[in-house]
Amino acid sequence: MKDQINDILAQARAKIAAAASEGELQNVKSAYVGKQGSLSLLMKEMAKLDPAQRPEMGKLLNQAKAAITAQIDEKRLALKLKASEVPADFDCSVPGILPAGGGLHPITQMCYDLNDAFRSMGFEIFAEDDITSELYAFDKLNFPPNHPARESMDTYWLAGHDSGPTNEKLCLRPHLTGGSVRYMQTHKPPYRFVYPGRVYRNETTDAHHERAFFQYEALIVDKDITFTSGKVMIKSILSKVFGTDVPVRMRSGFFPFVEPGFEIDMQCQVCGGKGCSVCKHVGWIEVMPGGSPHPNVLRAAGLDPDEYTGFYVNIGLDRLVMMRYGVDDVRLFHSADLRFLKQFR
Amino acid sequence: MKVSLSWIRDYVNLPADMDLKQLAYDLTMSTVEVEDVEYLARRFDNMAVGVLEAVEPHPNADKLRVCRVALGQGRCEDIVCGGVNLREGMRVAVACPGAVVRWHGEGEPVTIKASKLRGVASWGMICASDEIGLGDLFPAAGEGEILDLSEFDAPAGTPLAQALDLDDVLLEIDNKSMTNRPDLWGHYGIAREIAALYDLPLAAIEPYTAETGADFQVEIQDPQRCARYIGVAMDGVAVKPAPYWMRSRIWKAGMRPINALVDITNYVMLATGNPTHAFDADNITGHIVVRRARDGEELTLLNGENLSLCGDDLVITDSEGPVALAGVMGGAKDSILPTTQRVILEVANFESMGIRRTSQRYDTRTEASARYEKAVDPERCEQALALAMRYFHQLYPALDVTGLCDRYVTPLKRAEIDVNLTWLAKRLGKDLPREVIRGKLELLGFDVAMEGDNMHVTAPTWRSTGDISIKDDVMEEVARLYGYDRFEATSFTTTFTGAINQLDQNLLRSIKEYLALRCGMQEVYTYPWMNDVYVNAVLGGTDGVLRLSTPPAPDLSCIRSSLLPNLCEAVAKNERYFSEFAIFEEAQVFFDRNYTAPYDPAESLPEQRRHIAAALACTGADVTALFRRAKGVLEAMPRYTHMEGFSFRKEQRPAWADGAAWLNVYCGEEKIGDLGLLAKKVSLDCGIKNLAVMLFELDATRLRPFASRTNRFTHLAEYPETDYDISMLFDAATSWTEIYDAVMGKKASALLKDAAFVDEYRGRQIPAGKKSVTIRLTIGSGEKTLTSQEIETAAGQVMKKLEKKLGAALRTQ
Repeated sequence: MKDQINDILAQARAKIAAAASEGELQNVKSAYVGKQGSLSLLMKEMAKLDPAQRPEMGKLLNQAKAAITAQIDEKRLALKLKASEVPADFDCSVPGILPAGGGLHPITQMCYDLNDAFRSMGFEIFAEDDITSELYAFDKLNFPPNHPARESMDTYWLAGHDSGPTNEKLCLRPHLTGGSVRYMQTHKPPYRFVYPGRVYRNETTDAHHERAFFQYEALIVDKDITFTSGKVMIKSILSKVFGTDVPVRMRSGFFPFVEPGFEIDMQCQVCGGKGCSVCKHVGWIEVMPGGSPHPNVLRAAGLDPDEYTGFYVNIGLDRLVMMRYGVDDVRLFHSADLRFLKQFR
Repeated sequence: MKVSLSWIRDYVNLPADMDLKQLAYDLTMSTVEVEDVEYLARRFDNMAVGVLEAVEPHPNADKLRVCRVALGQGRCEDIVCGGVNLREGMRVAVACPGAVVRWHGEGEPVTIKASKLRGVASWGMICASDEIGLGDLFPAAGEGEILDLSEFDAPAGTPLAQALDLDDVLLEIDNKSMTNRPDLWGHYGIAREIAALYDLPLAAIEPYTAETGADFQVEIQDPQRCARYIGVAMDGVAVKPAPYWMRSRIWKAGMRPINALVDITNYVMLATGNPTHAFDADNITGHIVVRRARDGEELTLLNGENLSLCGDDLVITDSEGPVALAGVMGGAKDSILPTTQRVILEVANFESMGIRRTSQRYDTRTEASARYEKAVDPERCEQALALAMRYFHQLYPALDVTGLCDRYVTPLKRAEIDVNLTWLAKRLGKDLPREVIRGKLELLGFDVAMEGDNMHVTAPTWRSTGDISIKDDVMEEVARLYGYDRFEATSFTTTFTGAINQLDQNLLRSIKEYLALRCGMQEVYTYPWMNDVYVNAVLGGTDGVLRLSTPPAPDLSCIRSSLLPNLCEAVAKNERYFSEFAIFEEAQVFFDRNYTAPYDPAESLPEQRRHIAAALACTGADVTALFRRAKGVLEAMPRYTHMEGFSFRKEQRPAWADGAAWLNVYCGEEKIGDLGLLAKKVSLDCGIKNLAVMLFELDATRLRPFASRTNRFTHLAEYPETDYDISMLFDAATSWTEIYDAVMGKKASALLKDAAFVDEYRGRQIPAGKKSVTIRLTIGSGEKTLTSQEIETAAGQVMKKLEKKLGAALRTQ
């Protein structure tokens, strides 16, 4: 009988292990420990045994029953944990349902990134009107009276406001710098602000020329600024845009409203400075003008240029964003074409 | 401007092993932008001088010849050629296999390979001048003429660039980078700058000292516009080609050699930057007078153009009238002709702005006017005169100077500037030793005197026409010559007086992020001008709209007073690709009214406001859902962006809106915008074919941001609250606002906490003139958990009230 018990125990254990469902498990239970189960039948045969053996066999039988029952319970729990609400061939590779698809314009995105960077350095954000007078578009910026930029082939003058003295002539602003003078006139130094905005030039458009584009101007004016402080501003901008520390160089440049003036180049991010077609094989790309505000500009803002000086940079955001993403046609920015804009999330 | 390095070497002794990349870099960093460094010889790679040993007929072609070409070191090759001037013994330019040429000087570059022409092997090509880019230097007399190099004594096999002395380096300088440096518009000026950069000696141009013929006179009547005029009358000249060295330099600098008389004047301009001009003296009557033109005076220019002059133009005249437009272009009457034997040379100085006005007035820009416009210094006339006379004597040994008259009526005053050295050190961020500062400035030709903390600087004549005028200019000179690279970046210090809290800026950004990120709308940019089609369709007219005087196109002259016309255009454009989308734009709008001077009393600026507008578009008939979606965007906006809330009224229908589906948006008692469905007619006029479009536009300048967040905490309900939906039939004209006010106004039950709109249904099973509205009631008590009986009683009280107040009826299935 002892052997029979061990056989039954071994068989039951194997069957429990093999059971794959609650139903199979129930069958195993009734086959071994149910009323008509093999252990129960053995139990009935106890009466035929030598009474001396009964206590030992009884104990063995009970142990076997308990072991099988315990193993079934254990298996049942394991099966429950693995249970699924869906068919076994449920396809987890089906794509997810995306949240509502909207986004900011890629230039707005870049502009906000830059705003965050400059605010962390204590810069204010300035905004001002798009229509300005020739007085602020040119005179206050030290442009000589006959400068070619003033002509209608370069600037959008407003009909009915396109002649007369410069304070009466109105145009869509050709750059932001006139607005910077307005800021300085209405605030107390020291100044530290950025000025993002759209500017307008009467040009023939092509893949690299636009009539409306986005500039980002940063200006700092204080008593003890040297032009070398400008390098910090420039590096802040470029590292924010490109995500890495971009080597820059400042070289001699001429703009009426700065003295000294600089052309600021950054290392070509396409070839890493080795020289390629994008950078005309020089390894550097001209990205922005900069310099110390010309004494006449500071005077126009009501400051004493012997006391105050500063540094200014003005970035064409369109061009930077084009470089950043490899966009090859500047006109796409004002196209309102969702096929283009959806790519920037 | 193209600069020849071999020409530069005439004036400054550059080391033979000069690193040209470095030179270009140093010039770019300190002075002007060098856009390109071209090794000229590379254009003539695989080209050599060949000597025709035999010229035989081609067996299969009448017009072709088979040439036996000696290429040096005993090498001979057969080349088939169709040239009309081939002869034995002729020296020619041979493009060997690998050379790059252009067939007949046109089209794409082609690489030469050995091949067969009409059955005869041809090793390379015997070139015409335009096929190897030398058409201007060696103009061909006629079609099919081969470049004849017999005047050059280079042996067969000599590389072509070497034989023609074209083994040079050309620097291409960006003209824009030197508009403020009139001294650099010639080779001598660039050489002077290079000499300063590297502290190398600069060759002087010895002044011309010669007898002055007394019977030739020049008179200057306008000393403001003409500071100096030197006229030289000469006999014994003739029209002939200039020597090759002069022609090739003029060609390298990008101009076309003409004849010796014209070439000398151009060469002198390219060397010194001072334009010069030669008149045929036989056609000049009497003396030279420089004066303003009389209104309506006539002048025929060298290029054949007939001008009717005005009083602002400066002219060179003889006793009969104008002979040249000063500083811009010579006249036809007195130009150099093939028969010219006597000339009058003009070396003059004209005022820049006047030249600029005249050249613009007649749309005539020349190499001369481009230089005068930059403000040339009158002292430079001496160098130009010296060089010109050197070459006249050299090219015409029998030259007879019959008269020379130098009128220098407005002498140049050298710019003098005091610079405080403490100021200089502060601005540079570096305390440079005084001797370094002095040294750098003296290299550039400045005179420097230091006394105590003051430095008195006198600028050289060539920098004294406006270029150097204030102490900041002097600082720039020191810094650039010392090297911008050698100034380390210095961080600036900040005094924080508090956090930057720009509520208006923050609000604008919050709104845009809310629309884009939470509402799933895409921001777009459009132009500030609007197409007339959309202006008329959407705005219904152009009242109060500002216009551009020179618009990008005739139908784009209106600048926007609303963002909606351009958004409608954007919808029409995107309809081709998308059936459902939502876009928004934030930009300024402009109105021809309310002119004010917000910044400067001298100005008068039109009303300008910042607007935010959106278009939500979808196909399909569910306009209600589209309307509710757009309205929901506005309803939730104040809450999410932390500003004062909006309310809606129905007072004034926007011109573009549907007859019924529109609202005005208010903030307090102020109207701040509109919301509505784009009317079908407007939509069609905009070219929108199928999409239903909801628009809204807000005046962002009227929005009022909160100073801080204003969320409020309420305790969580202690006992459960239940949502209980009721559906009732109302008159179709009953508005939700009326229903809500009836439910929540004076509550029918104290247990009623809130009521919300679920949906509205009209159609089958609903009687005509009625609609079914489902309302979700929130019912609960602060004291206990309610029984279902109590809940139903409360709901029943609400329904009764609706029956009584609005005549609502329970909906029977």
